[in-house]
Amino acid sequence: MKRSKKAALVLTVPVATLLIAGCEKEVQGMVYSSPEECSAGGWNTEQCEAEYAKAKALHPQVAPKYVSKEECEADFGDGKCETAPQQTASGHSFFMPMMMGYLAGQMMNRGANFQPGAATSGTNTAAAGNKSAAGAGVPTQPLYKSRDDRGTYRTAHNTPVAKGAGPVSLRPSQVQPRVGSLVRRGGFGQQAATRSSYGG
Amino acid sequence: MKRISVAERPNWRTYAEEVGFNFHTFDGEPYWDETAYYQFSLQQVEDDLEAPTEELHQMVMDMVGDITRSEEMLTQLNIPRDYWSYVWNSWNGGEPHLYGRMDLVYSGTGPAKLLELNYDTPTSLFETGFFQWVWLEEQIRNGVLPARADQFNSLQDKLEQAFIELELSTPFFFTSVRDNAEDRGTVNYLMDIATQSGRNVHYIALEDIGVLTDAKGENPQFVDLDDHPIKGLFKLYPWEFMVREDFGRATLAANTQMVEPAWKMLLSNKGILPLLWSRYPDHPNLLPAFFETASSEPMAAGWVRKPLFSREGANVDLITGGGEEISAAGPYADGRYIRQAFQALPKFRDEHRNADTYAMVGSWVVGDRAAGICIREDATLITRDSSRFLPHIILD
Repeated sequence: MKRSKKAALVLTVPVATLLIAGCEKEVQGMVYSSPEECSAGGWNTEQCEAEYAKAKALHPQVAPKYVSKEECEADFGDGKCETAPQQTASGHSFFMPMMMGYLAGQMMNRGANFQPGAATSGTNTAAAGNKSAAGAGVPTQPLYKSRDDRGTYRTAHNTPVAKGAGPVSLRPSQVQPRVGSLVRRGGFGQQAATRSSYGG
Repeated sequence: MKRISVAERPNWRTYAEEVGFNFHTFDGEPYWDETAYYQFSLQQVEDDLEAPTEELHQMVMDMVGDITRSEEMLTQLNIPRDYWSYVWNSWNGGEPHLYGRMDLVYSGTGPAKLLELNYDTPTSLFETGFFQWVWLEEQIRNGVLPARADQFNSLQDKLEQAFIELELSTPFFFTSVRDNAEDRGTVNYLMDIATQSGRNVHYIALEDIGVLTDAKGENPQFVDLDDHPIKGLFKLYPWEFMVREDFGRATLAANTQMVEPAWKMLLSNKGILPLLWSRYPDHPNLLPAFFETASSEPMAAGWVRKPLFSREGANVDLITGGGEEISAAGPYADGRYIRQAFQALPKFRDEHRNADTYAMVGSWVVGDRAAGICIREDATLITRDSSRFLPHIILD
């Protein structure tokens, strides 16, 4: 026989990877546009400054990067983008949105038994280095505002965090900053626009 | 080789749509056409199509290594210089290939002649491996065809075997241009077979593929929409496009296994035809072919002009032996050309439409084995994307 013994389809529709929501506990963080707004909210000025400095340092690492200022401003608004410190090997610049605020993740949780690098003890034994452990707060990080939704503070990965300044409840895994990566999309497919067919 | 009119199966369109074959009709014109079938003898299939397909495939594969080492040939094939070592590494690293299709002129007698190789992104795969197989089974069950009727079509068996044997990363991704139903149908079929072979597969639209780099913009990695690495990728998208697009350079450094591999860009290129002819002059399954140069004479009767990169007959010009000139429009007029001796496709009578029709045989290769055939029909001598697909049988 010169034909297949069987030709069958299972017709599996590939499913998108399911988000694992789990039963993660929400923890408290504070959202402010500046350390001044933070201390005006009644918090320790020194702490407000320290958290702000931490977020500011993270900003160039985690902010989304764009190859042109126009593309960046299309997402974040005119005059709301700046040149990123990174360059490609060929000297090409990237652009990133300006930091519009910060999430102070550690202030509400002072006194909890979290000490980065310290030996874990007691009942809150999460995996070593897992900063999302209960009592550890959420990661302190810069926040941004998109062009079409000026009221909302968002993380570098576009997760909405708060509609204004003040305390927020968050699941730590939703706001994990991913450091040191630049993602671009749409770099394949340009020729498809000018050619009628791709397979043959 | 005969063309025989036959009644269509009732409700085949409904069935086609149930199995995801939603491109069976294009712009109101039939693409899948079962108002007739082609009948071959077993000898015609085995001696004239199967054996020459494997021989031609071997000839082509024997040339790849030489091309990767030849500045002259890489230049003739218009492979960008930045990719020469990438292609060389891909071949010398033994990167596996999955499938290809060669298009042949065959009339039932005399040697089949190679028109071109579609060795990077061949479509018509689902129609061949699945839909024409089901057509035969049903026509036998309906008593329209005798039970001993067969088909040269082991495509699905061989693809399934290939997905079992190939070393592929898990999960393995498949991609095609987002809004192309035909390409998506082909990819869905491959994903279905891979799933049946036990593979964990994911689809990502070509436009959604991301490149993740470190903070210095270096060490590119292809990623999916969750920024997870894509370590293995079947791409139904031509290499000659990819190497000229923004993410092309990322493929050079990214740790992603590509299927088809980069060395296939040497074979999906019509420049392989003059290279084959110069290595195997007067081979019975080859047509004379040459690169067109600035000093080439105006094209004479009995010749065909094809762009190095073109698909579905686009931008092909031909002058028949009798001097009739036929041209197909298309978007590939921006590159170099080859010329190939004209060999007319066999002409048949389409009783259903009361018109003449020309038939071309596509011959499939999976791994390194001949794996089946498909027939495309057109009212003209140039087979193009609108050409109809007809099933075939083997019956002596």
